[in-house]
Amino acid sequence: MNGRAEAVATAPRNGEPWSLSQLFKACSRTFTALDPLRFAGALLFIAVWELASLFISPIILPGPFSVLRRAAADFWSAPALSYYGVEDPSLAANLAYTAENVAIAALIGAAIGVTLGLLSARVWFVRAAMNPIMMTAGTVPILIAAPFLLIWFGVGRASAVSLVAFYIVVILYVSSQRAALNLDPIYENSALTLGAHRGRMLRDILIPGTIPEILGGFRIALAGAWGLEAVSELLGSQSGIGKVLEVLAGATDPQGILATLLVLGCAAILTDGLAATLIARFAAWRFAGS
Amino acid sequence: MTDASRQQLVSLSVFAALAIAWEILSCVYTVEAQPGEPMVAGWGTLFTRTLLSLSDYWQGGLGVPAVADGAPRSYLAALLSIISHSLGTLARLASGLVLGSVFGLALGLAVSWSPWSRRLVQLPTQFLRALPLLAMVPLFQLWFGTYFYGQVLFVSYGVGMIVFAGVVNAVRNVPQIYIDNARVLGASRAHLYRTVILPAILPSMRSVVLLSLGAGWGAVLAAEYLGAQSGLGYIIVYAQQFGLLDRMFLIALLFILYTSASYWVIERLFTRLLAWSPSSQAAGR
Amino acid sequence: MPTETSRRMIELVHLGRNYTRADGQRVSAVDDVSLIVPEGEFLCLIGPSGCGKSTLLQMMAGLVGPSSGAIVVDGKEIDGPGRERGMVFQRDSVFPWMRVIENVEYGLKCRGVAAGARRDIARDYLKRVGLSHVERAWPRELSGGMLKRVAIAAVFANGGEVLLLDEPFGALDYVTRRQLQEVLLDLWEEPGRAVPTVVFVTHDVDEALLLADRIVAMRNGAIVDDIPVGAARPRDTDTLLLQDMVAIKHRLLGHLGLAHAARGAAGARGAA
Repeated sequence: MNGRAEAVATAPRNGEPWSLSQLFKACSRTFTALDPLRFAGALLFIAVWELASLFISPIILPGPFSVLRRAAADFWSAPALSYYGVEDPSLAANLAYTAENVAIAALIGAAIGVTLGLLSARVWFVRAAMNPIMMTAGTVPILIAAPFLLIWFGVGRASAVSLVAFYIVVILYVSSQRAALNLDPIYENSALTLGAHRGRMLRDILIPGTIPEILGGFRIALAGAWGLEAVSELLGSQSGIGKVLEVLAGATDPQGILATLLVLGCAAILTDGLAATLIARFAAWRFAGS
Repeated sequence: MTDASRQQLVSLSVFAALAIAWEILSCVYTVEAQPGEPMVAGWGTLFTRTLLSLSDYWQGGLGVPAVADGAPRSYLAALLSIISHSLGTLARLASGLVLGSVFGLALGLAVSWSPWSRRLVQLPTQFLRALPLLAMVPLFQLWFGTYFYGQVLFVSYGVGMIVFAGVVNAVRNVPQIYIDNARVLGASRAHLYRTVILPAILPSMRSVVLLSLGAGWGAVLAAEYLGAQSGLGYIIVYAQQFGLLDRMFLIALLFILYTSASYWVIERLFTRLLAWSPSSQAAGR
Repeated sequence: MPTETSRRMIELVHLGRNYTRADGQRVSAVDDVSLIVPEGEFLCLIGPSGCGKSTLLQMMAGLVGPSSGAIVVDGKEIDGPGRERGMVFQRDSVFPWMRVIENVEYGLKCRGVAAGARRDIARDYLKRVGLSHVERAWPRELSGGMLKRVAIAAVFANGGEVLLLDEPFGALDYVTRRQLQEVLLDLWEEPGRAVPTVVFVTHDVDEALLLADRIVAMRNGAIVDDIPVGAARPRDTDTLLLQDMVAIKHRLLGHLGLAHAARGAAGARGAA
């Protein structure tokens, strides 16, 4: 059943007040859309966790509310961290450091990956030269490059950013190449017979046609980028969420670790939501009407 | 020359060019991290001196004494150390893959049994999946220490999350017509699961397994980097602390070999398993 | 309907197109075709699958280059596609990432027509094809028939002198097909502008009889027949029952290898 058609059919016309039955119908539609069972599931999860934490010692499993409180407390200021050599003692500052690296890597990786990918779809030589490298790099975990980068760039932003950027380049190369190769040649032909010059193809056809698939790849890449950045910081860094995790693990502080992971998870969800919004905005033509 | 063979030629040439460039670089950049350990080791050095140096990682036994105990380096010791550390890494990966896949599949099928259970666990699993896997290494180390089983649990957690989500999604996408057909022919719920659902989700399992393989390798490497005492990742990170680039490079080459082989094996396996599937599904695209 | 003094709009001069198959064999898709299409004529190219009619059309559009011979349009030899030769494809060619109205004004935009002017023109053509109510819709939301109307509106709005249609209604159901044939003829006969020269490829004999001033039959890459259709416009299904039309129809069916067993020799059906 087309939900929109249904909604249009039962909503009152502009200006008229809602009748009781229309109001009830609208409420029950929103209710089922929000799905109370899912919220019940979330509450159940928290309840089970709290119950388990009562029986298991807090050294191993701290309860959900204590973790939440710790996350809130440490977010803007965590003086304890400075004892362990963390530069900016607060979760927010370290999250910012991690987020900055992810953002820089995302920009660099996207620029290189998309350009190479689109080019490889149109120029056979580029495809033949780059594909074996990219495909091999795709099967090997990018982490294998991490120790090398640590030696070449030392401890600091450069090694982490280059690791994550390389990861994003590979994913976006594959996404954009596939998107461009799958783009039906009929669109280019149609544009030509409508009088478009070859120079317009990139702007009018290639980019708008491939954006949904590329953005989809970007969303996936972003999710993995957070973890990769955290590990790179774990291997050698003075700042960032990874460093905080390493420090708290060394101090045997599961409450702190869970709190930090909670903050990291929220950041990842937030950026994923942003990516989804981008997709909804620029790829509406693909998913409209569904 | 056909298009395909032209492409292959270019691809091979690229690899050859990279190999030659590496050799040239090793002649030009002769900086050594430590006496006798060049940073950029040429191919000749790699397979002689560097290979020999790997015998440092052999703990002794099987009649071959350890270098740490004063014995000289030997190719045999190097070979043994490669084999033993490779087995360590592969054992972690395999155990984690099996454990994670079994649990992920079982839980996924169980949750899919009723539409209510699926919606019930949706939000918690979405949140857990949002937590970057590789960032959770310190947590697992805190809970399970840096022992073998701790690393296996970490890998199986990563694999399990992916398999679980993949199975739930695949069961959801089984064309209703297959289910209707079976019900109309009198299949019970359990029989339906065994004979219809499981085969029907197999095509989507191909991409799920490949994805979890990738995650598994990453997880094994991360776990070994951050606290193992054996395994290829351990060797790399240990060598990194002394700047021994040549050893790291040799082990990395070995690693690339293993990962490419594992992907090749899984893909061949699925091609055979999915011989019955409509070609668009078998391609996994 | 062109007259004796109409100038030549399209001229195909000994046109040929070869392909090399995967097994190395050379195949002639179009074999020494020469044809003159006067201005304002509605020409139908008809033939069985693989006879070369689509390849011929693609060459006229400039999307495929000839192996031999030349194509002259309006006195100039063509060299690639251009807006004076608009094309409607069989598959959906409407850009999915642009709204309907943006699709219709795309050709005008390429030419540099001002935003307000091109929007007015586009709206006008959308009204003519009956799609004013879906001006802001995404192509994904439209049916196959509606998408075809958008494609036709876009090509007419662009105002080319030549119109090429490659089995445009082949994928549609009977009712939609008949409706779109009417839409096409309405736009073609639009008063106040020069009548475009149309080359319409089809394998549907009835469609050709309803639409064309002249039908050219092709087989194995060559022209095998050239039949003028004199029936008056507007035509409908009753027109197809006229004696002349029935005779033309049987002639064409013969070329398609579908001749009725009772008519002509018993071997006629097997003559494919």
